[in-house]
Amino acid sequence: MVRAAVPDSKSDTDVLTPRFSVRSRTMDVQALQADALAAVAAASSVEEIDAVRVEYLGRKSALKLALREVRDRETGMALNAARLALEEAVEARAAELARAELDRRLTEERVDVTLPVGTYRRGHLHLITQIRREVEDTFLGLGYRVVDGREVETTRYNFDALNFPPGHPARSPLHSLFLDDERVLRTETSPSQIRAMEAEQPPIYVVSLGRVYRRDTPDATHSPIFHQVEGLAVDEGITLADLTGTLDFLFRSLFGGERRTEFRTHYFPFTEPSIEAYVSCHVCDGDGCPVCRHSGWIEVGGAGMVDPALFEFVGYDPERYSGFAFGWGLERIAMLRHEFPDLRELWRNDLRFTRQF
Amino acid sequence: MRAPFSWLREYVTTSASAHEIARRLSVSALEVDRVIEAGVADVGDNLGRFVVGRVLAADKHPNADKLQLCQVDVGNPDPQQIVCGAWNFGVGATVAVGLPGARLPVLPGPLEERELRGQVSRGMILAEDEVGLGADHAGIMLLPDGIEPGTPLADVLPLHEQVLDVTPTMNRVDLLSMVGLAREVAALAGDELHPPDPEDPPIRRPEIVDVVVDDPVGCPRYIGRVFRDVAVGPSPQWLRSRLHLAGMRSISNVVDITNYVMHTWGSPLHAFDRRLLAGGRIVVRRAHAGETLRTLDGTMRTLLPSDLMITDGERSVALAAIMGGLESEVSEETTEVLLEAANFEPIGILRTSERLALRTDGSNRWEKGVDPHLAEPAAVLASRLLVDLAGAEPVGATDVQARLPERPVITLRPERTSRVVGLDVDADEQRVTLERLGFDVDPGWEVTVPTWRARDVTREIDLVEEVARLVLDRLPHTMPLRRAVAGHLTAAQRSRRLIEDVLVGAGFSEAYTWSLTPTDPHGEAIRLPDPMSGDHAVLRTTLLHGLVDAARVNVDAANEQVALFELARVYFPSGVQLPDERWRVGGIAEGGYEAARAAVEAVHDAFHVPLEPHRAVRSFLHPGKAAAVPSGWLGELHPMLLEGSWGVFELDVDTLVAPVPERILYEDVITYPANRQDIAVVVDDDVEAGALVATALGACGTVLREARVFDVYHGDQVGAGRKSVAVHLVFRSPERTIGDDEANALRERVVAALADRHGAELRAL
Ligand SMILES: [Zn+2]
Repeated sequence: MVRAAVPDSKSDTDVLTPRFSVRSRTMDVQALQADALAAVAAASSVEEIDAVRVEYLGRKSALKLALREVRDRETGMALNAARLALEEAVEARAAELARAELDRRLTEERVDVTLPVGTYRRGHLHLITQIRREVEDTFLGLGYRVVDGREVETTRYNFDALNFPPGHPARSPLHSLFLDDERVLRTETSPSQIRAMEAEQPPIYVVSLGRVYRRDTPDATHSPIFHQVEGLAVDEGITLADLTGTLDFLFRSLFGGERRTEFRTHYFPFTEPSIEAYVSCHVCDGDGCPVCRHSGWIEVGGAGMVDPALFEFVGYDPERYSGFAFGWGLERIAMLRHEFPDLRELWRNDLRFTRQF
Repeated sequence: MRAPFSWLREYVTTSASAHEIARRLSVSALEVDRVIEAGVADVGDNLGRFVVGRVLAADKHPNADKLQLCQVDVGNPDPQQIVCGAWNFGVGATVAVGLPGARLPVLPGPLEERELRGQVSRGMILAEDEVGLGADHAGIMLLPDGIEPGTPLADVLPLHEQVLDVTPTMNRVDLLSMVGLAREVAALAGDELHPPDPEDPPIRRPEIVDVVVDDPVGCPRYIGRVFRDVAVGPSPQWLRSRLHLAGMRSISNVVDITNYVMHTWGSPLHAFDRRLLAGGRIVVRRAHAGETLRTLDGTMRTLLPSDLMITDGERSVALAAIMGGLESEVSEETTEVLLEAANFEPIGILRTSERLALRTDGSNRWEKGVDPHLAEPAAVLASRLLVDLAGAEPVGATDVQARLPERPVITLRPERTSRVVGLDVDADEQRVTLERLGFDVDPGWEVTVPTWRARDVTREIDLVEEVARLVLDRLPHTMPLRRAVAGHLTAAQRSRRLIEDVLVGAGFSEAYTWSLTPTDPHGEAIRLPDPMSGDHAVLRTTLLHGLVDAARVNVDAANEQVALFELARVYFPSGVQLPDERWRVGGIAEGGYEAARAAVEAVHDAFHVPLEPHRAVRSFLHPGKAAAVPSGWLGELHPMLLEGSWGVFELDVDTLVAPVPERILYEDVITYPANRQDIAVVVDDDVEAGALVATALGACGTVLREARVFDVYHGDQVGAGRKSVAVHLVFRSPERTIGDDEANALRERVVAALADRHGAELRAL
């Protein structure tokens, strides 16, 4: 403990009044410290504590001057101890006051959290794109690739390779949009099957999604341009049960895990056997309602085992390989799932519609 | 096609209900649209309130000129007094009576006893439309004599009927017939099939029937049968009712018989008034160029040499397989009929029917390929009915045939069926299924296809389908083994998704617009020779016009913050057969040039592709706010195209992403911090910021990592025609810290180069 050589003396005078002559060789360190601590305690704002710091610890403060002039070790130690104590007290008080001021400011900065701020704007993917991605991602997860296909096709790829018989309605200009005898706007995404099979050998697991074209007068459920998803799996040992299992998986991912599926016989030129896929109505769960036209079932689209004629076209051995294919309209899935009545909305691009999804 | 259930049950004995049968058919045979409940409601004892009556007395109502007052025996001791508004009957007529309490489909409540002009009427004598058995309201239904009064009417007429409304697929024309449907029902349920097999009425005094087929390809079979003493008149009520329930209109007994037999066997027939055929002959040939025929619907048809015609050797009397001619139509005066039960080649019929936009119940079947063997049972049934219902006397018959197709014989490996289906289907079950469907299966699994499936079933896989469709509801759900799969998007597909996501994040919503447009700026754009309409005639080479239309829709809807993009294909003539289909991304947004620039910058930034636009001219853009980039253009839409200030852009996706490296290599940007300097230079107004940046970058080599204009100032301090451009310079080296001295020296080099190249003066910041 350092003892100063001067007697104790207390004063009630203003803390800002220097009590010691700068020239004095001795000073009452304890009194100085007491005065300074009192001043620290009395400071009530960041400004005031800064003033106290200048007064007692600044370059021209009595303490600093005394320290500069001190000659003996003992006094020096006493003065240093006082300085350290004072600095500590000032810092502590300064932090306390700063924190109090921050708290006050933050309290005053309260906002109305129910008010919007109005600067952020996000766009929306088209509903068909959203569904397209859902289907793509489902099949990517199953190990399928996505192929793009072409929209303008040769009649050879669009009809001949797909085993369309000569009298099939799709071959007629009443139903399809031709550029000339040999070129047509693809009437389904299926030509991409042929192109995929021509490009490589099995195993092939691909889906293809895109625009298709038919000469249909636009109405609530028809559009001359619409979108299809096409799937193709060719490998050794592919079965009809594999097809129904795959579609069952897809439908439950699109319409909900509790859906049931049903498959009914059908006819398509490019598959044999052919089936039409149904999913239990997601609105009434099979009891019957307007969405399912009171049947409890919703028709989603066609599928089947790849017709051996297609394998012949691309040079695969139909005894070694089998495959399945499916294809249907994305607009139909959109309308069923989201229950809007007129597919022309998908082409009007009214943001009031787009922003719902 | 509509199949009344009572009719179907005539050909197949089954205990299954209509709805059970509909369900089985829909899974394994054809689409069942619905089961129609037709006629009188089968609720409570409603059917019991409809009985057969005999008219005992019929006099004019004492107080009403237009009404008859009748006494009708309905099987009770006392006759029933009924007031009736029809006059097409008299005493002794056998009629259909609705008793008080009966519910009729045309009345809101039950029939009640009531007074009509002072006379009590206890029931109603029924017209066919009042019980859903026809469309006729000209008079009441007349039933055949000899039915005991009081007999339940439901025993005599299909008073309550369930009607299957079905749509067979195009390969199953055999199901466009009652017999075909009955066969399918029998096969599905294991029931017994008994198709109509009437006695063919004998010809007592045979006459020659003169039929010549000049075109046996177009007409491989022609059965002609001639009848005399034909009494044309209305059909009996059972026939009228069946046709009505099957969706057809009753015309006369002769015409009704042809329609009835078509519906029964699926092979369409036609009846000519033989005395209107020159020499009573039939010659089947192709049309002469320029030949015309007025068809039954009254329309004059101009024919092509590819159209198959039924003629009498002098002129055409029918458009073969599609519609008869008006002049040889059977009428009330007809007494001699030539019945045609033929077979026609489908494709030619389809072409003619499509060209003339003339589709009939007949052409709808022929164009799908009708079994030529059906002509005979159809001719026999029609003959029987003409004799029975029109008092006709058969006097001649001929059957002109080309070689009819053989029944295909196919080897089936039953184990192959199981392999394709993915379910072990017992070989015996396969055999039974095929046999029920009319196939003959020999012990070595040589399968002979029935004639009515000969076009459709020609290969082993077709037989597999026949079995598969009957086990569909037993199929397990499995997944392919996928021993070698590679599920991933291509780089191009990922790029397209990235563009979509970036633009959505930038506030753009995705639009879908038509690939077909009214016009296109590209002179050689691909034009459809036969478009649906002038608005959809050309395959577009730009997305702009669709997007402008979409923006206009939103302006008209008063939508706010309109920003739209589309990522779709455009189609360029390529010099080879198929066009060059290119992915494009285009956008339109409120906010003028800046909106387009911001979006294009966001897309470039997403791919780390520097955006370096240069001034360009596009007729559809604001002349002062138009820029080109390697992949396309951006700018402000010319206000003539859409009022307001719209930013627009269109980029070719492949070109945009072409500079993107396969992988991005690491660069050390951490170890040595950058030295940043700002300068401001004054230049003439027409000096472009991009030129200043390029000069700055060129002056310092790679140490100058970035030169970015952050402010442009016009005003008094820089003088008229001048501007101050502030540029932020970032100096950085991966090998050392760029100190202030070095940075200052580099900055001086930049300033000197700007002064030298652009006359720039340094301005104090
Ligand atoms: Zn429902």
